[in-house]
Amino acid sequence: MPTERQKEFAKLIEPHLSSLYSTALRMTHNQNDAEDLVQDTLFKAFRALDQYQKNTNFRAWIFRILVNTFITAYRKAIKQPQKISYDDMEEFFLYKRLDETVSLQETNKEEFLESLFEDDVKEALDNLPYQFRLVVLLCDVEGFSYNEIANIIDAPSGTVMSRLYRGRRLLQRYLWNYAKTRGYITDDFKKKS
Amino acid sequence: MYDCADIERLAQRYVDGKLNDEEKMLFEKHLEYCLPCDKKIEFELKLKEIIRIKAKEKFNPVDLEAKLMDFVRKLN
Repeated sequence: MPTERQKEFAKLIEPHLSSLYSTALRMTHNQNDAEDLVQDTLFKAFRALDQYQKNTNFRAWIFRILVNTFITAYRKAIKQPQKISYDDMEEFFLYKRLDETVSLQETNKEEFLESLFEDDVKEALDNLPYQFRLVVLLCDVEGFSYNEIANIIDAPSGTVMSRLYRGRRLLQRYLWNYAKTRGYITDDFKKKS
Repeated sequence: MYDCADIERLAQRYVDGKLNDEEKMLFEKHLEYCLPCDKKIEFELKLKEIIRIKAKEKFNPVDLEAKLMDFVRKLN
């Protein structure tokens, strides 16, 4: 029989379990590793439960443990971020590329977004360097605020913003590349002359 | 008054609801009369929404419940 403490813990975790798995999957790229990561996170959280202050932000608290666990477990595996050129990291990259195409006129830009496959969006995210991916996931997928993310990843909010904005710009480039290779942009794709 | 360069500079903070009242007012004022900027911002908002919807894994709640119970049992 579960003890009171275990029951209390299960009740706290339950609303966040899906988010924890979802994030773990995007960070580890595979089901088994994601399972392990979430499980390790939960063990640590259970042991540290006394440090959690009641009625404070449990969701941010548990995500902070998830991120720490991920970084500790993958420290050696995580490659140093490749040198990414930020020269052409212009704002509105995807919009501008779509705008230059003949086959995608005004009304179709949002339809284009709707038509993206879930797997393409996930793959684009998976390809981001992990620091960027983490921040984009926490903000855009899980809905954390800048301050919460700063707390979760233990970095100043200026760092959160710069990683988030760069991450999103990179993501737009990846999505544009998919659009070209997966045939979202049809044969008559060419630059407006 | 904000120009198009200001919109570009502040776009991501606007999308995240991070502008202060005055910045937000000036930002939206510009969008009211600048159709190209308005369309760009609309697109960015839509993209953010699409990423949230499409990147979030959909798990079966019954599976999740089972996983949690499994885990709690391991704590014994």
